[in-house]
Amino acid sequence: MSDNIRSEALQSQYLTVNLAHEEYGIDILAVREIRGWTPVTRIPQAPHYVLGVLNLRGAIVPVIDMRLRFGLAREEYNATTVTVIVTVAGRNFGVVVDAVSDVLDVTTDAIRPVPDMGTAVDTEYLKGLTSAGERMVLLLDVDKLLQPQDAQMLEAALPAVSDVKAVA
Amino acid sequence: MSKAGLAQFQQVFIEESLEGLDTMESSLLALDDGGDAELVHTIFRAAHSIKGGAATFGFPEMSSFTHEAESLLDEVRSGKRAIDGAIIELLLRTVDCLRGMFARAQAGEPLNDAVAEGLRNELALAMGRGVAANDLQARRSEDHADAWTVRFRPHPGMLAGGNEPLRLIRELAGLGELSVTPEFDRLPATLAALEPSECHLGWTIELKGPAKRADIAAVFDWVEDECDLVIEARHVVAAAAPAPAPAVTAPVAAVADAGAARTQRDSSAESSSVRVSIDKIDGLINLVGELVITQSMLDTFREGDIDAARLAVLEQGLAQLARHTRELQESVMGIRMLPIASVFNRFPRMVRDISQKLGKQVKLELVGEQTELDKTVLEKIGDPMVHLVRNAIDHGLETPDKRRAAGKGDIGTLKLEASHRGGNIVVEVSDDGAGLNRDAIVAKAVQRGLIANGEGMSDDAVAELIFQPGFSTAAVTTDLSGRGVGMDVVRRNVADLGGTVTIRSTQGKGSVFTITLPLTLAIIDGLTAAVGDERYIVPLVSIVESVQLKADAVRSVAGGGELFRFRNEYLPVVRLHEAFGCAHAVHAIEQGLMVVVEGDGSRVGLFVDGLIGQQQAVVKSLEANYRRVQGVSGATILADGSVALIVDIAGLVRLQGRRKAA
Repeated sequence: MSDNIRSEALQSQYLTVNLAHEEYGIDILAVREIRGWTPVTRIPQAPHYVLGVLNLRGAIVPVIDMRLRFGLAREEYNATTVTVIVTVAGRNFGVVVDAVSDVLDVTTDAIRPVPDMGTAVDTEYLKGLTSAGERMVLLLDVDKLLQPQDAQMLEAALPAVSDVKAVA
Repeated sequence: MSKAGLAQFQQVFIEESLEGLDTMESSLLALDDGGDAELVHTIFRAAHSIKGGAATFGFPEMSSFTHEAESLLDEVRSGKRAIDGAIIELLLRTVDCLRGMFARAQAGEPLNDAVAEGLRNELALAMGRGVAANDLQARRSEDHADAWTVRFRPHPGMLAGGNEPLRLIRELAGLGELSVTPEFDRLPATLAALEPSECHLGWTIELKGPAKRADIAAVFDWVEDECDLVIEARHVVAAAAPAPAPAVTAPVAAVADAGAARTQRDSSAESSSVRVSIDKIDGLINLVGELVITQSMLDTFREGDIDAARLAVLEQGLAQLARHTRELQESVMGIRMLPIASVFNRFPRMVRDISQKLGKQVKLELVGEQTELDKTVLEKIGDPMVHLVRNAIDHGLETPDKRRAAGKGDIGTLKLEASHRGGNIVVEVSDDGAGLNRDAIVAKAVQRGLIANGEGMSDDAVAELIFQPGFSTAAVTTDLSGRGVGMDVVRRNVADLGGTVTIRSTQGKGSVFTITLPLTLAIIDGLTAAVGDERYIVPLVSIVESVQLKADAVRSVAGGGELFRFRNEYLPVVRLHEAFGCAHAVHAIEQGLMVVVEGDGSRVGLFVDGLIGQQQAVVKSLEANYRRVQGVSGATILADGSVALIVDIAGLVRLQGRRKAA
């Protein structure tokens, strides 16, 4: 009985998604919903990986392309392309991934640190890796995908950029 | 009662008391203008409920302070004392001081301060039983003692009010060790004469333990008028350290504080709560009922084929649904609508104080106080209006001798007027003072390098100069206005609310400031503009007109900018596709549309592919999940469920200005 409680406390679930033939896990507690890809409204002065905003039942939610965020080649969106809506620190945003595949139970001790190489994704955005059978799953640190500092830094930099453009 | 529970009631009490203070203030001002005796009763009642509430909800300092004012009012009420200007002045300052106390109560700070202490003494002095400032020390030390005798003799009718002596004595027991001696001298001689619903007993209570007089008095607060109460200290605690003698603050300082306390209160109360009349709620419930009926009627169409007859019913049902939805929307919006009176009401006091200080005579006229506008707008319109009113009295209206010299009456008129005009609320602040001094403004503008000279400038264009940052022509910088933060801030604040400020002034005759505001911030009227494949909403208020230009009407100027001639002025061109980086947009001037828009006091030509149509847009925040985007004030959802961004004209103009400067 007490064993059960302990193992439950240490266990968490991850939604696994596909991105450029690799599998990534997103903490399921951060996932709000999964929806098929629908076109979004572009926003000016946004970083290139922010595709735009979509209407989530009346709320305006930014959508980022995971491939572009990680500096991968852009892929045409198709029938399996989905937008995963995640909530981080009270803010919602959507991430576009190639496909969703599974929900994975992961115990804390099965998470291993990321070696600083070998993956397509900058290790900064990963909080560890684990395995599901033969497959390797990279666990994403969703908090870092759309950081407020990030946004602020961009905001500060933007007017300067547009000024330069105007002069040129 | 749990602490959280008490805090909740405290909040309600504070809100109600602030309303009570507003009532007191307006009644006092009316009394000053020669009001009737009923006003005194109104003021007394307000003070009385604040006192009682303060004691109940754990603010003994406030309670005892209000008690002083109440006693003074009681003497006035019962005709023992004639009300005069000095008493009104004193009571007005009491109101300010109480406001300060409430602000401190909300912030969880100690309630008493030097001002309160000084005022308390002044109130006592006014009643002829006050103590000179240096005697306060003695009185205060007497306020702390570790043994007390309380003689408590309820009037016979006290029980009828639901006040139970036993409860009071138990409450006293919470302050220290009690020994209670009953007094039977009022007991009737025979049992037959005993009226069971009356109180015949009295008590002498010895209280041991350190307690404050205010704490003991607080126990008896609700029954004070229904008993004879004597509280005596027996063992006085030696005062630990002599407290500084409270300075009796000068009225002027108190006046300044009043303004500060008010703004503080207004800002802290910004999002707290809103009072809605029962009528509005009932109307809402009715509408929701109708909506449910319509919905269940439409629900029957889930089953069975739809033939021509049923189709007609369906159409009717949908029409009904549309009507109810619209009505519901209007009613829900109506909840946020409050009369502008709550903003106007602060001005009689302010005008009185400022005009006294400046030695001017001002008559304030308020028109259209019942005009309703959105609560958010209401909360934010106060400060700009205070600014305009101060300016009008300080710079606009003249002193009586100057007015006489100009052939006007001694008393200047300041008028605040609110009205609905189209889909907007228009608030006008007008005075019959000196008006703007054209020469002084031109001279100042030339000195500051804003213009080369004033020749050929229309009066409106000159008046517009006062909205430039840091512009003040006041020869003397007073503490009221003239510090150079002025009209530009007013304009900025109003622009933040989606409104505009304009001025009309005639030298020697006076000035009129007109603030135009949207009814609500939540919904705007806009035109949908197409740029490439994208749609943007341009707020209707900022659109002056739209024109189709020939290719050669737009001139490029050195530095990369473009200008075109509109009427008698040259306006810079903002190409929306460039500002926002839209693909597939029209580039040729003659194929697109130039929308002349106004924001931040300047006009620009906004170049778009074309205008699609007018629509009401429900404003949604981009910041909630993303961040601010320059040139975009928000987003809205179009009929097809997609998102369109709302163009922030003022932001775009600023963006353009920065590019020009770069």
